[in-house]
Amino acid sequence: MLAPRRSSCCRRGAAVRMSTPARKRLMRDFKRLQQDPPAGISGAPQDNNIMLWNAVIFGPDDTPWDGGTFKLTLQFTEDYPNKPPTVRFVSRMFHPNNGSICLDILQNQWSPIYDVAAILTSIQSLLCDPNPNSPANSEAARMFSENKREYNRRVREIVEQSWTAD
Amino acid sequence: MAKQQEESNSNPAAAAAGDWENFRDDDIMLQHSAIRAEQADKIPFLGDKEPLSALAAEYQSGSSILLEKIKILDEKYSAIRRTRGDGNCFFRSFMFSYLEHILETQDKAEVDRVKANVEECRKTLQSLGYADFTFEDFFGLFLEQLENVIQGTDASISHDELVERSRDQSISDYVVMFFRFITSGEIRKRAEFFEPFILGLNNATVDQFCKSSVEPMGEESDHVHIIALSDALGVPVRVVYLDRSSCDTGGVSVNHHDFVPSALSSGGSGLEINPYITLLYRPGHYDILYPK
Repeated sequence: MLAPRRSSCCRRGAAVRMSTPARKRLMRDFKRLQQDPPAGISGAPQDNNIMLWNAVIFGPDDTPWDGGTFKLTLQFTEDYPNKPPTVRFVSRMFHPNNGSICLDILQNQWSPIYDVAAILTSIQSLLCDPNPNSPANSEAARMFSENKREYNRRVREIVEQSWTAD
Repeated sequence: MAKQQEESNSNPAAAAAGDWENFRDDDIMLQHSAIRAEQADKIPFLGDKEPLSALAAEYQSGSSILLEKIKILDEKYSAIRRTRGDGNCFFRSFMFSYLEHILETQDKAEVDRVKANVEECRKTLQSLGYADFTFEDFFGLFLEQLENVIQGTDASISHDELVERSRDQSISDYVVMFFRFITSGEIRKRAEFFEPFILGLNNATVDQFCKSSVEPMGEESDHVHIIALSDALGVPVRVVYLDRSSCDTGGVSVNHHDFVPSALSSGGSGLEINPYITLLYRPGHYDILYPK
């Protein structure tokens, strides 16, 4: 899938005031994401703060999530890349592992080998392949396991909301 | 932020009431970091050199087998240096022991040799598809420490400074992570060799094992990690085991195992390897031992 890239993600001039290891690394994460963007994701630091990123994940084709554009924020600390960022959905979500995202690589399985592109790609695949055993949203988890039709309907609702919400 | 705090504070209470459904990953993470913080108060990443009597003191009221074994250790080893039990103890012990050895011997040939191996490891990671920028800072920091322990330059550091750096999280954790990269690269490169060990250890694939037990910080090391790191860097390691096991004959002896890099052992030189990294293993933990 060739995702449309939002112009706001190509903004320049994310200021680097102090060149700490975390900030230097984030600049390289950004460069990689610009030069070699994985399908269906985009992200960039906010204008004056390299430690806070906005990102968009496009719902994968041929899934109930198809057509959705989901906004997230990634908050990094000076411990990056030794510690993962805090990732939150800004768009409304209906997913067993949403809210504070229950993704192993953002928690106890984090490693500096992951960059922003890898984080966003993992979240994208978590959309279609949730882990109902580690639910942050127990309603969604129950529905995912017990009533897939209703689950998919709620997902479509969220997808439609993602077009208008801002 | 305040909301986040509130959420996580409310959940342990729910768990106490038996409502495990509400005991979230966040809370478990919080508990893990609390345990880590407690450990951190007890011991720095790297302790001071202590006489073996300090080790014996730990077991005064405990197992007589252990006390006897410590007596035997006392004949060969003069001191112990503890490391923090944070899951990185093997890598941290390896880091300090190795750099201390270079600092004391000023063995420039060894530095050149290990640098060549590090470059091989860099190529391994590249060929496995790792992006350079995800590991180059870690490589850079290790190579810098290696150069700094060689005396006679403006950047040279003393033994005290080496101890300080090993206790400084911003250096120490980067070097630990460097070793994790090296270890993971070696295991993946020789996946066929390591696969049966890994299957026996925790029934995972090589990729799963590297992702879950090698690449994340704080994941404990086992034989597989030691073999891989020792082979990749060409650095032999001796591990001395201190546990309650005793020989069938009734006598007490202390076992050790030498991890000899495949490059050295297949050379067929027949010379006895004299490892300059000696670690004391007690089930679940590694410390540094100093031979007499």
